[in-house]
Amino acid sequence: MEIKENICLVEKQDTNLFIHLQGDVIIQNAKYFYECLDSITIEDIKKITLDFSKIKNYDTFLYLFTIRLEKLCRANNLAFEKLGLRMDMQDFLNVLAAKKTKEEELAFTMNPLIAQISSIGSGFVRVIKDFYEFTAFGGELFLHFLKLLIHPRSIRWEDFPFLFMRVGVSALFIVLLIVFLIGIISGYQGAIQLKEFGADIYIADLVGISITRELSPLMAAIIVAGRSGSAFAAEIGTMRVSEEIEALRSMGFNIFEFIVMPRVLAVMLALPLLVLLADVAGIFGGMIAAITTLDISVISYLNQLQKALTYEHIFTGVGKSVVFGFLIATAGCFRGLQVSGGAESVGKYTTASVVMSILLIIISDAIFTFLFQALGI
Amino acid sequence: MDNKIIEVKNLSVFYGSTTILQNIDFHILRGEIFIIAGSSGCGKSSLMRQLIGLEIPYSGDIFINGINFTNSSPKVRSQIMRDFGVLFQSSGLIASMTIEENIELPLREFTDLDDEDISEIVKVKLSLVGLAGYEEFLPSELSGGMRKRAGIARAMALDPDILFLDEPSSGLDPVTAAALDNLIININKALKTTIVVVTHDLSSIFNIGHRVILIDKSINGIIAQGTPEELKQYYNNSIVYNFFNRIG
Repeated sequence: MEIKENICLVEKQDTNLFIHLQGDVIIQNAKYFYECLDSITIEDIKKITLDFSKIKNYDTFLYLFTIRLEKLCRANNLAFEKLGLRMDMQDFLNVLAAKKTKEEELAFTMNPLIAQISSIGSGFVRVIKDFYEFTAFGGELFLHFLKLLIHPRSIRWEDFPFLFMRVGVSALFIVLLIVFLIGIISGYQGAIQLKEFGADIYIADLVGISITRELSPLMAAIIVAGRSGSAFAAEIGTMRVSEEIEALRSMGFNIFEFIVMPRVLAVMLALPLLVLLADVAGIFGGMIAAITTLDISVISYLNQLQKALTYEHIFTGVGKSVVFGFLIATAGCFRGLQVSGGAESVGKYTTASVVMSILLIIISDAIFTFLFQALGI
Repeated sequence: MDNKIIEVKNLSVFYGSTTILQNIDFHILRGEIFIIAGSSGCGKSSLMRQLIGLEIPYSGDIFINGINFTNSSPKVRSQIMRDFGVLFQSSGLIASMTIEENIELPLREFTDLDDEDISEIVKVKLSLVGLAGYEEFLPSELSGGMRKRAGIARAMALDPDILFLDEPSSGLDPVTAAALDNLIININKALKTTIVVVTHDLSSIFNIGHRVILIDKSINGIIAQGTPEELKQYYNNSIVYNFFNRIG
């Protein structure tokens, strides 16, 4: 195939415009044909004649160029004539043109307004369906928990130590670091306000209670959702794509007992332990902020902390984290099992699992706060 | 003009110390449907990977349109490779892109076509493979057979001289596989495209093949070549006879 200029010559004879195509009318030469079309002026023109006789090689671009000229003539009420069209070219153009007509017949068009309403409606239905399916999934999981109480060996415990390690031990450093920094930040922020009221010593109360009741469980849960919840979704999703889940089902394995339960239990047990350790890191961070910005000694900070912090504060935080763990693992496994198709779907549901986990964590935390308030805990 | 579009001379392929193919010679004629057949693991897909330039042979030469593809500079190889359209076994469609975006990809990357023409080509190619109206679908939303068709549409986006199809009917039911065979025949007839098909599916070989080479592990090379009908009558070699006369 040759690629060169002067493959499209325009010649005007009275009111007739001749376009001579020469050489290779191929996609690679498109820019020369575009230039040729741009050079055309149709003033005083009544007819365009497209000369095919000197074409050497051609591809789909011949079809594109021809229909472009036909459209131009139709739009300007000009006559259009094809000159020197060989049989093979005619057959080629017919194949593409015939298919196009069929495609146009099949094309489905919808009023844009109706399409918009339909898309909002289907989005709403999707959310409702998603909620229903998640509730059903949670319900089935609950039944398996009950079954576990009666038959403790019903789930695959072999995976549990590895999962616990991955969810808990591997996340320990990042959780401690982040909660430690959150402790410092809240300590500094609190110190500025408390100093104005001369209530310096209450920094221990502020940091201790906020870390144990809210910040530590929330931060640890969000980190675990990002690390482990998403990993569960991606892992199970990939198993779906490679039909491993279907293979397990076909062999008679119960997916809840084999895949879901070990993961849910691992997160439900690992997260409270992470929160307990994170409480210490956060309080330590707050103490550093207090002794560096306020005139408080370590001893007075710890004394005040002992007075302020009760078991109730610690256990409400730890107790919440058990529920957060359940929600994170359930969302991860649920989204993973929803994967269908290919790699793109794995990515989509992995992201969805993180969004869902964080949303559920925040909603359940709000419910806990309201309940604890009402119960005076 | 030489009618050979591909010529393979003395080609050998090794993976580590394992011999896959040794000293094979054959040619493919312009405009024919050429079948590379053989049992699983015989090296037919490896041969296709050499032909399309994904791997460089250990020794031997591949000539495309008379140009030595094996010894060409990377720039020339890349230029030659643009004349190829390839359908991989799993279609190779990019999962995160719609069917339209998949087909547009080579057109946007390698041509100066404007948006209007690119969109027109996508419609024409999808119509050609019977997928008109599926532009906005993701590959995961299509069935296996439809994905193969979409893969062919993408492979044909740049009007390739040679279309390589790796196991096009694998994983498809007989009806869908037969429909795909018809599509291959139609493309060959309508667009005069040379088509190289790697398959072990007997019905496809007899339905679409103009000429066949049969590769066998026992000799790491071509054990027989000819038209499908000729190979069906190949009484001199039991491997060839059994391959072409097996049931199913």
